[in-house]
Amino acid sequence: MNSDPEGTGTILAGSGRSTFSRQSDIIRIEHLGKIFQDKQRTVIALEDITFNVKRGEIFGLLGPNGAGKSTLIRILTTLLRPTSGRAFVDQYDIVKDPERIRGIIGVCPQNSTLDVELTAYDNLDFYGRLENVDDTTLKERIWELLRMAGLADRAHMKVQTFSGGMKRKLEIVRAFIHKPLILFLDEPTIGLDPESRREVWHQISMLNAADTTIILTTHYMDEAEKLCQRIAFVDQGKLIALDTMDVLKLALPEGDLIELGFDTMDEGLISAIRENRNITSIERKDSRLLISARNGSRVLPFILETFENHGSIITSISIRSPSLEDVFIYLTGKKLGGDSGTGQEHSGTGGLS
Amino acid sequence: MIRSAAAIFTRDLKKFINNPFVIMFTLFMPIMYLVIFGNAMGGTITHIPIAVVQEMPYIDESPLYVTTVAELRHYSQSDNPRTFDVTAYYDEMKAKRDLRDGKVNAVIVFPSPELPDRSIRMYIDSSEYVTPSLIESGLNAVLVKEGAHASVETYKIYGDIKYIQFFGVGVIVMAIFMTTMMGGGIALIKDREMGIIEGYLVTPVRKSSIILGMIGSGTVRAFLSGLIIFIVDLLITGIIVQNPEDFLYVFMILFITSIGITSFMVAMASRFSNQQEYASASAFFNLILFMTSGAFYPVIGMPDWLRWITVINPEYYAVHALRSTILRGQGLEVIGFDIFALCVFSAITITLGIVTYRRTLE
Repeated sequence: MNSDPEGTGTILAGSGRSTFSRQSDIIRIEHLGKIFQDKQRTVIALEDITFNVKRGEIFGLLGPNGAGKSTLIRILTTLLRPTSGRAFVDQYDIVKDPERIRGIIGVCPQNSTLDVELTAYDNLDFYGRLENVDDTTLKERIWELLRMAGLADRAHMKVQTFSGGMKRKLEIVRAFIHKPLILFLDEPTIGLDPESRREVWHQISMLNAADTTIILTTHYMDEAEKLCQRIAFVDQGKLIALDTMDVLKLALPEGDLIELGFDTMDEGLISAIRENRNITSIERKDSRLLISARNGSRVLPFILETFENHGSIITSISIRSPSLEDVFIYLTGKKLGGDSGTGQEHSGTGGLS
Repeated sequence: MIRSAAAIFTRDLKKFINNPFVIMFTLFMPIMYLVIFGNAMGGTITHIPIAVVQEMPYIDESPLYVTTVAELRHYSQSDNPRTFDVTAYYDEMKAKRDLRDGKVNAVIVFPSPELPDRSIRMYIDSSEYVTPSLIESGLNAVLVKEGAHASVETYKIYGDIKYIQFFGVGVIVMAIFMTTMMGGGIALIKDREMGIIEGYLVTPVRKSSIILGMIGSGTVRAFLSGLIIFIVDLLITGIIVQNPEDFLYVFMILFITSIGITSFMVAMASRFSNQQEYASASAFFNLILFMTSGAFYPVIGMPDWLRWITVINPEYYAVHALRSTILRGQGLEVIGFDIFALCVFSAITITLGIVTYRRTLE
């Protein structure tokens, strides 16, 4: 995409940056908690969350539905007040200085907030004015964004005639109409086809290259792996782990993951396989065997041979490098099992780093 | 078919039951109709202010004057409180001025004792509904009771005004309130319901900008519909506005009334998060305000406990001001206070709207 030649739109973010302290953490979250209460019940949405986001990074917030990701984003974007704890966006306190924060952030919420009765152009125009984009550059900026979203030919059509993907793309470009310092994207690619997802990823990388800090929530692990420099796992309102992807993967037993399906198996089989020194862990789940092994492809013939010797029949085989998803399953599995040691340790180091 | 109909039935009923606010208002509405409408319409009119004057020259007031005034002071319909509040004037011109300014509803001038053959002259504010005929029949009843053989000459100072002309002015205000009920602030609630609000609450936009923007657009719509109905009203009821400046007054009243009522609706909308709740509440308040505005029936006919509503009712001031300009051709000296009251009401509701608006999602 063409860069902004006149550079007027960057005034907001640019001038802000020079006056703000040059500390490396752009967001600081300290023991943040949020409890929703009504007559019948109390829901703890967030519990004692502490971490920092570095200036200029793409930060991923991962977790299943209802983990508290959106609540956290809503608190950081001044839409909700925390029940306990503190948080700072740039140097501003989210409770004391929400007005300042609103001036430097751009947000793409999870649910569509476009006015479907307006045209694409009018939606952007509306937001541009609310975000104080200068009148002299607004028109040009809107067209630039419409082209970026591939909607230039539909500029004057009502949004209600758009497909889900078109709406989503419009909503994403709207979030950075004023070139914000920090961009919050809550499930940006939800409901998009693979092609559009790649386009959005490209846009996010471009914005990040232009010094925008991006906080992204998703429950697509591949998205986080592709984009995010650091990743935080959230589950049931708690921070389970936070680090770069490489470090997170260390939480898993070393090596590749081998998954085997089988019909029958005798007891001696597992101990026989365990004798191989390259195998770091074995876990049996129903009629599947999960094996972690260094140099997985080399170990595989040995495993097949052992199965054959024991007269067991293998129905399926897969071998892969561990993904973020495996890390997540591993971590939450641990946690559900009652041993939260690993998770806590990670969140601790991640938060302080 | 029955099964699916039952499913639709249950779903709809569940929604209704889960919404106690709407249930309350749907029950409240007919009860309020009974109490307010029943009392505001067709209540017995009492305490009509009238002026009596003894025509010059005289040394002592004529017997006709003394007895008739005494009788008028005590006159009442069956067991009701007395019908007239009689004030004795010594200056016929001053009495007529007060009649013009709407302070009294009629001036009765008794002939001088020196010229007993002259008839009683009655000047009457014909722009009101019911009261002119009450005054006429009251005076006649009193004269018959005394056995006095005086004739009465009646002057309707605003000519013959039909009920449709009296009511038509109220309909202009109704146009404003209908527009605000449908439009005023409902977009705010839609934004909340559809989640659009989440998009713009994260921008630096201020509460006051949101509320003032909403009031602005609502006012324009309400003003235009008021204007259209004003023109339609003139055409249908055949009222002739006397002075060009009266048009300016009407525009001013319409504009300020539109601001006031729109602000009131927006102030309510800034608190509600559900269209149904807002619709029931706004219909409820608007109907009370309209019924007690004097659009249908003179405010003087309302019982005292109900009349206090008119003090805070913008539609009362609007109807009064419009009637004063359109039917009576009165100027700022009469409508000044109405305009002041409308401004105060607008200022309060605008402030209320801004203060109560929730800037977060909670």
